[in-house]
Amino acid sequence: MYSLIIALGFILALRGGRPAPLERPLEGLARVWLDAADLFLTTGLILALEAMALALDGSREFAREYALLGFGLGAYLLSRYQKKTDAFFLAAAVIVFTIHERQNDLLSALSLAWVTSAGIGIFQTGFLGLRYRLLFSRVPVSARGWPALCLLAGCLSAVLWSAGRLIF
Amino acid sequence: MRLPERFFSRLLLAYLPFMVYPYDLFRAGAAAVWVVVFLWVTVFSFWFTRRLFPGRSIKHAFFLWLIVWAQAAWTLTRLPPHWVLSVFFLMPVSFLDAEAKPGHIRVFSREVPRYFFERALGGSAFVIFVMVMVFVREAGEKKFGIRLFEQPAGPLFVAAGMAFLWKKTHRFSWG
Repeated sequence: MYSLIIALGFILALRGGRPAPLERPLEGLARVWLDAADLFLTTGLILALEAMALALDGSREFAREYALLGFGLGAYLLSRYQKKTDAFFLAAAVIVFTIHERQNDLLSALSLAWVTSAGIGIFQTGFLGLRYRLLFSRVPVSARGWPALCLLAGCLSAVLWSAGRLIF
Repeated sequence: MRLPERFFSRLLLAYLPFMVYPYDLFRAGAAAVWVVVFLWVTVFSFWFTRRLFPGRSIKHAFFLWLIVWAQAAWTLTRLPPHWVLSVFFLMPVSFLDAEAKPGHIRVFSREVPRYFFERALGGSAFVIFVMVMVFVREAGEKKFGIRLFEQPAGPLFVAAGMAFLWKKTHRFSWG
């Protein structure tokens, strides 16, 4: 699950929505957490709909056999309704599928959705902060762009991993 | 002549979902080959049928196609659907661009082989990239016991090194 949070956090930080201006980090911060809340609501709603489909006799068989199809369509429709990006829709579908594979109970699944969305929010907050600090640093031309971004994401991943191990 | 950096960005973004798969070199390679074969089939199918889709419906059709195939791959091979993100990032941008209009290119024109050659080259580069990253991760984690490779930090540091080398040494162009 940790790899999923870092991979999707990195993807959503770069392709998740309108790029927040680095010069106004507070605006970017608000967007990051709004997106994290939207991600939690989207994944939570799909998980709740799935639990409802499994509870009904008429839809139980379809929900079991074609769960992924349902997740994909649900994520697509909800993302379009919220005017989110394509990367957001795919990330939401993948998160719901991963949670569905790990948890059968709705409450546990919602908790995991919350943890995943919060984890992505924390990663993106740290990433935004590091990118903001980078604005005031002298980065060599050859290290600008992807080398710096990967390095920042790697450092953040290592720090969050260590912090997680200390806390849990 | 230089390779465009955006090509590396697409490779890297398409690789990121592979960090989630707990696969060894062989299985990761098979998954990467599946992504590329699926990408080629998708590009081939949509290239010849895109005029049949009215307005912007090609984008909806593409995502429906992705979802259906993700379900099929899961049912048949138990391959988790993270690979759809890789296909999405490797797809030619013009396919999903709402502003792009289909070009008036004949089926038997010279543009078609060149176009498919570029897609083939991009797909092969992706498979090699994934194999190299998984090999380095496996070697770092199992052979050398570097704990950074137990989590995404290791592959991301390797990707940073590769991105640095890419900027420094890329020599040829995609035409």
